[in-house]
Amino acid sequence: MAEILFYLLAAGTLAFGVGVVAARMPLHSVLSLLGAFFCLAGIYLLAGFQFLAATQLLVYAGAIMVLFLFVIMLLNLGDPAELKRHGGIALGGRRLALAGGIAGVLALIGALVVPRPAAPWRPTAVDRGGYDGVREIAEVLFSRYMLPFEAASLLLLATMIAVVALAKRQRPERMAPRERIGWPWEKGVEQ
Amino acid sequence: MTVPTAHLFVLAALLFALGILGFLVRRNVIIVLASIELMLNAANLTFLAASRQWSHATGRLDLDGPIFALFVILVAACEAAVGLALVIALYRIKKTVALDAASDLKG
Repeated sequence: MAEILFYLLAAGTLAFGVGVVAARMPLHSVLSLLGAFFCLAGIYLLAGFQFLAATQLLVYAGAIMVLFLFVIMLLNLGDPAELKRHGGIALGGRRLALAGGIAGVLALIGALVVPRPAAPWRPTAVDRGGYDGVREIAEVLFSRYMLPFEAASLLLLATMIAVVALAKRQRPERMAPRERIGWPWEKGVEQ
Repeated sequence: MTVPTAHLFVLAALLFALGILGFLVRRNVIIVLASIELMLNAANLTFLAASRQWSHATGRLDLDGPIFALFVILVAACEAAVGLALVIALYRIKKTVALDAASDLKG
């Protein structure tokens, strides 16, 4: 039963992934991404990662997706009449060849490296309880991974400052300094 | 679930290839960012599949995989926030989010 559900969810993930890449409108692309996140959360749950599935839904579907949709609405990117101005698909031969080459290398590595269990999968004691107990994760995260954890908080702070600095509305007099002061070698620009 | 780890790896590889394709082929910044998120998710799936296989093989709970996946999710959140702020800045200057418009540094 769980196996059938896994293959259904895997097919759904791939279908939504194709939707992300092939959608004409950014809004449809981002909504497909949301579907892919939900399917992946289901796969995590089936594979025994309950905490990761919850985190996936909270952070990806909850926070990142809202950010994407907010920017799309803010910049009015959902307007079909404006679509052409925002770039379409560049199907160059070199791009396709590069993507195909990377996919081929990945498939080759997978075929060579992937472990093939000789015996069928028989659930052990570890398998039955799931693979990411919250208590166990917390114990490791706050002891062995303490330094990366602190670095992560620093990264979040830096991101917050960077986002505010980037998205802040600039004052008009600071908007385009090139138009006010020219470089010495530029002609026809007030210096 | 008794699905072999190889199938999880194959799913992750296909997802990553889709993300690469979208990243290289699409010209809309929002869709390019969505493709990057797809690739990060494929990496997460690989971490978890490998961790599951390792736990199963050794009989001891392996927590490095889930914790790395957690950090990947954190970095993905930061990347999305900064990327979308850059999109807003790009739109303010160029009035478009087409990547072809941002070629001033192309040389």
